[in-house]
Amino acid sequence: MATDDLTLVKRVREGDQRAFRLLVERYQRKVYAIALGMVKDKHEAMDVSQEAFIKVYKYLPHFKGDSSFYTWLYRITVNASIDVIRRRGGGRLEMVEFDETLQLDSPDAHIGALGSRLGTNPQKSALRRELAEKIQEALEQVPEKHRAILLLREVEGLSYEELATTLEIPKGTVMSRLFHARAKVQKLLSEYLELDEAKSGVGTE
Amino acid sequence: MSSNPACQTFLPMLSPFVDGELLPAQRVEVERHIAVCHDCTGRVADFRAESGLVRLGMEMLADEADFSQFAQGVMARITPYKLPLLDRWKLSLSEIFAHQRAALAYALAGAACALLVAVPWLMRDREPVGYASPQMAVESVNAERGARISPVVKRAKDGNTIIWLVDTPVPAEDAGTPGARGEELPQGLGEEMDEELEMERPMGNGEKALDPQRPTGGEL
Repeated sequence: MATDDLTLVKRVREGDQRAFRLLVERYQRKVYAIALGMVKDKHEAMDVSQEAFIKVYKYLPHFKGDSSFYTWLYRITVNASIDVIRRRGGGRLEMVEFDETLQLDSPDAHIGALGSRLGTNPQKSALRRELAEKIQEALEQVPEKHRAILLLREVEGLSYEELATTLEIPKGTVMSRLFHARAKVQKLLSEYLELDEAKSGVGTE
Repeated sequence: MSSNPACQTFLPMLSPFVDGELLPAQRVEVERHIAVCHDCTGRVADFRAESGLVRLGMEMLADEADFSQFAQGVMARITPYKLPLLDRWKLSLSEIFAHQRAALAYALAGAACALLVAVPWLMRDREPVGYASPQMAVESVNAERGARISPVVKRAKDGNTIIWLVDTPVPAEDAGTPGARGEELPQGLGEEMDEELEMERPMGNGEKALDPQRPTGGEL
């Protein structure tokens, strides 16, 4: 049976480096997926992932254990990714920000477009690499904070409570940001699929 | 924007509805609404499709990465915590007892077997310790008051000498001999005797048997 995270954390704190290696191996892929979704570039995502683990190790003695280890790890990953994005942008903060109030900004023409083309449970086999890259591009169009919350929800499956803890925001903000991020990504993907359908058609599930 | 005014009420609830984050009562309300609202049914389908797409898309891209050197790279860049020596010992012991009990038992059994074989083997040619040891030196000899003692000296082939004292009957004229009154004999007695005696037994065949109440030998 796999040792739980907090036991491994305790062992790392006591100086057991093998326990930390186990944690790295357990979360490396998930951390990389978040970093890749945030920074887009593969090499930068790999660097961010390693940096995140190094920071985790450095600050592990300060980890209180109030939240899960992975929410803490994901928060560090998101922050490290945002640092990279800001450095890349010359230190400027991303100015694009959605209004936090909940208003649907997608036109009626797009309603149901994504669901009707791909079904509500797309299968991996039906997903083409081109579409995966398009998803990544769509994510890039979303502001950092919304991108982070979308990735943590969709890729890592964090609950709203965990999202609030990870990103240190109220639960209402979680709902708001998630809604806007999804609406934006839906719109971009629908446009892509319509364009793609016009050219060659898209496989459904 | 949706033409149905009720949609504005339910719109914020669609995303948490898809995520299963609504309270049961809210969930029932949303289900009732989407049963009659075509737009919100489409939106829910879109949320689900988008959710699945983002997850699968990012997983697909993450699968392409090579993690074979990742953990090693991280471990190479971290500086181990330096714990106090006592804590490190405690940690090692607790780890052994917690995770390697079987290995510990086998190791102890192996060590015991090794000792059982090694100790006799190492001791087989060792010089005797204590009596007859080359390192043994006579510091002093005490005799019972009134006892008459005589040295027996035995010289080994390697030049070492063993001296011990035997009681002899006390003739009346020897009552003043040193040692017969319990006086301590001088150190180096053996060396003096050694020069004179190769093997001496002071008691002849004609001597009387010793009194059984008296000591039968000197203490080294």
